[in-house]
Amino acid sequence: MLMVISNKVDRNTIELLSKACELANRKNFEVSLLLMSAIQEKLEQLKGYADNVILMISKQFEVFSLDPFLVNAEMVVRKYRPEIILSSATTFGRTLMPALAAKLKTGLTADCTELDIDEKGNLLQTRPAIGGNVMATIVTSTRPQMATVRPKVFQINPPTKQKTKFIFEQPIFVADRCELIGYKVREEEAKIEEADVIISVGKGLRRKENLDVVYKLAKFVNGAVGATRAVVEAKWLSFDHQIGLSGKVVKPKIYIAAGISGAVQHLAGMQTSQTIIAINKDRYAPIFKVADIGIVADAYSILQQILEALGDEKNA
Amino acid sequence: MREFIEKLQQIVGVENVKTDPDELERYSKDETSEIEHQTPLCVVFPTTAEEVSQIMKLANLYKVPVTPRGAGTGLSGGAVPIKGGIVLSLEKMNRIVEIDRENMVAVVEPGVITDEIQKLAEEYGLFYAGDPASSESSSIGGNVAENAGGVKVMKYGPTSHHILGLEVVLPTGEIVNFGGKVLKNVMGYDMVRLFVGSEGTLGIVTKIIVRLIPKPKYFATLLVPFDNVERAVLSVPKILSESGILPTSIELMDKQSALMASTFLSENIPHQDAECHLIIEVDGTDKDGLARTYINLGEKLQQMGALEVYIADNRYQRLKIWKFRKAIAEGIIAFRPRHCMEDVSVPIKEIPKLIMKTYEIAEENKLEVLNFGHVGDGNVHVTFLKPEQMSEQLWKENLEKALVDLYQTTAKLGGTITGEHGIGIKRKKYLSIFMSKNELDLMKKLKRIFDPNNVLNPGKVFD
Amino acid sequence: MKILVLAKQVPDTDKVKIDPNTGTMIREGLDAVMNPLDMHALEVALRIKETTGAHITVLSMGPAKTEEMLKDSLAFGVDRAILLTDAAFAGSDTWATSYVLSEAVKRLKIEYDLVLCGEKATDGETGQVGIEFGVLLNLPIVTYVSRIFEVSKEFIVVERTTEEAFEKWKVKLPAVISVLKSVAEPRLPTLNGKKRAMNQKIEIYNAQTLGFKPEEIGLNGSPTKVIRVCNTKLTRNCKLFVGKETTVGVRKVVELLKPFLRK
Repeated sequence: MLMVISNKVDRNTIELLSKACELANRKNFEVSLLLMSAIQEKLEQLKGYADNVILMISKQFEVFSLDPFLVNAEMVVRKYRPEIILSSATTFGRTLMPALAAKLKTGLTADCTELDIDEKGNLLQTRPAIGGNVMATIVTSTRPQMATVRPKVFQINPPTKQKTKFIFEQPIFVADRCELIGYKVREEEAKIEEADVIISVGKGLRRKENLDVVYKLAKFVNGAVGATRAVVEAKWLSFDHQIGLSGKVVKPKIYIAAGISGAVQHLAGMQTSQTIIAINKDRYAPIFKVADIGIVADAYSILQQILEALGDEKNA
Repeated sequence: MREFIEKLQQIVGVENVKTDPDELERYSKDETSEIEHQTPLCVVFPTTAEEVSQIMKLANLYKVPVTPRGAGTGLSGGAVPIKGGIVLSLEKMNRIVEIDRENMVAVVEPGVITDEIQKLAEEYGLFYAGDPASSESSSIGGNVAENAGGVKVMKYGPTSHHILGLEVVLPTGEIVNFGGKVLKNVMGYDMVRLFVGSEGTLGIVTKIIVRLIPKPKYFATLLVPFDNVERAVLSVPKILSESGILPTSIELMDKQSALMASTFLSENIPHQDAECHLIIEVDGTDKDGLARTYINLGEKLQQMGALEVYIADNRYQRLKIWKFRKAIAEGIIAFRPRHCMEDVSVPIKEIPKLIMKTYEIAEENKLEVLNFGHVGDGNVHVTFLKPEQMSEQLWKENLEKALVDLYQTTAKLGGTITGEHGIGIKRKKYLSIFMSKNELDLMKKLKRIFDPNNVLNPGKVFD
Repeated sequence: MKILVLAKQVPDTDKVKIDPNTGTMIREGLDAVMNPLDMHALEVALRIKETTGAHITVLSMGPAKTEEMLKDSLAFGVDRAILLTDAAFAGSDTWATSYVLSEAVKRLKIEYDLVLCGEKATDGETGQVGIEFGVLLNLPIVTYVSRIFEVSKEFIVVERTTEEAFEKWKVKLPAVISVLKSVAEPRLPTLNGKKRAMNQKIEIYNAQTLGFKPEEIGLNGSPTKVIRVCNTKLTRNCKLFVGKETTVGVRKVVELLKPFLRK
């Protein structure tokens, strides 16, 4: 069995299940989703994406806390004995999975971007290593084999399973050593993960005032504005805009890197975008290596030209 | 004029002559605040020395002024067209021709961003010691034109110390070469030194041979707050003459500068309330030796009344210190656009007098002032700020009075009006405070010999 | 109060160089510094020490070079620095590292009321060791902590930042807290601290003195193994527009953007 663990039905979960179905086909594994949440909702979205949906419903799962999640997840895993366990590399997966791995005395690979299964049933877990400079493929000698997977890496496939069985498992109540005493929803300035077009800027834009043209362009094409770490550190834009290893990982249809030289840390956050356009004065800038279209020129003036031409299109 | 532009287009190609108004506006400014300019006819982007040569010949024929320009980060208006004509941008001549490891030199075109040379040199374990604070955005050609300084001048010297040879297109269009990949050269006049810092008035540099040195391995940066500016600054000549240590940098930021930087970064500097901070950097080739050096230095500073001595000896911690220093100028530009950043330089012993005097000058003229800069080499960026309430008219008048007073004080202390930014147009009318008629006349004669029709960057340095 | 800080040494560089043949990082000539994110954890410890008094131990497993990093940490006023170093530890994955660290704590009887560590290391980027360590010692764990509100003998109150929310948690001590950058800005070392640290000793233990069997540590004790490393040849076929062609490039980009134009 290949098990995916999640605490909600969202895009990440469906992505992961899509990939899980693909992998499971090769070894005739069953795919199961362990869903630990406080409410049962959006369940119909899961139909066809797993053979089994194991539901654990409890008030204790309303906000993630390790104690109740760990005890119950371990219980389910010991009962169903999956060969492989996957979860998203989110604050949820990145907290629960290491804890579960320690309990099960097994290996865990963080932040995978590629998964495969060999003929012996080994999960080939590939992740960027050394700041994204190399891709390392890792296998686990113990069982179960565990991995967290970066969101937005795998695509959502149409559902393939004829039947999806919903199984209820009774959670046990755990005395939590952590007590939730406050909760405030986060309001983000920029939702760049969802944009189809991202215009990202680096220090090559030269000055903060030049962001003006970037905002205008973004508005024209319904896009979002991204940034390198240097730009965020210089306070041109807030941290919500940062793309890269220590910021966000994005995969838009069009990514425009303006005045970004392309440090590996930044590339790690955008290189899977569909079409990458790079504008940089330095023709040897590493960003051109991952770009589809490269313009060797001053970023600001090129953005202005694009904006003007688009303005003409709009009026035409 | 249409004919002139058509001929320009024949030389560099139609797409390398820009005339649209936005572009012209952009190429008629640099980073100097409050500078008047004229919109140029067009901007040309030559890609070879031969094209530059033809452009200059054409300009002489039509008597059209040519303003050469690198990355446009200058702080004296040197690349600003003030007599119309054309702007000649060297942006597209941006190749690093070679890094010659054995000879420890790099051959580069003027449009290369200085940091690019640094990055490539580092791959070979080498180091370009001339890079100024603006190296991320300024071009090497601009550095040469202005003889840029920076934070490492006290140990390594300004740009001129690192330029071994130049290919230059003279104002009349001839292509000449001086110097080469040699460290010693007394063949005739030192023409390389003459061109470096000539602010684009004597020729257009089209190829540059820069010296590279072995990269120092270890660095330590000291952040040293003081509760008294005078005491801090007095410690500088004392350290230099008594410790037997030559730091690469001794930088000063006074309380107002630190506030500017920390506001810009939204982060406090340790001892935010200190009257000033010194940043001192030392480099070396062995770690233990470097530790002995900074302990020696740190103890001296403690004796001189430092409130604390912070020591950063890894990259991460050093960046933490330097980012404050770098954020001062950015903060000024962001929060106080109405300002005047000066560049006076005095013998190091006189720094305390200079700095104390700036506070007096500011008070007398009801201006705000902040002081930061390279006190280790005597170069202070005295910056006058317009108080929020002050009228534009009064700001202009009082600033003028303050500047004259500042320059007279500087001259009296044996200093110069500009250490690393250049005269350009910003300071030319004050040059007579520092120079005699004979001295000025000699420079003017020189200019006439090089540029009989006065087409290359006219109106810069002097009229 | 006794605070244990888990720290990892990472190479002091922002320019990673890769050996083109092996695909591994060239560490030669690079100094070892404390993982920048662990520095934020250490800062939390130092602030607690300043306000309420605390004894701080820094524990690290790594190559002999890690001693430099621990020396640096002593300059901040850390009371005890312990290094677990042995060729036999080399190649440890997160499980083997967590196992050695947690066993060392038990066997050396290191006392703690609070364990602090950074969210992840800047080189490995797994963020697993602190959590696995906590589970092996059966401690409550809170990850992604962005603020510390209150610390007492019995509990700590922290803010945890997730994708959706800022959560406030009251956690029974002893516990493991893994922190984000924003939790506290690390301080700089002082001259006096540096001088004091020069005379302080670092405790060093190897696999034998700690009583580990060869099969349970290092590469042998690691369930995950790297079987293949390849250079990220992400190279796309970039159509480059230079000089005179940039206008053509601009036109191409405009064509690509057209479908997204806001109506």
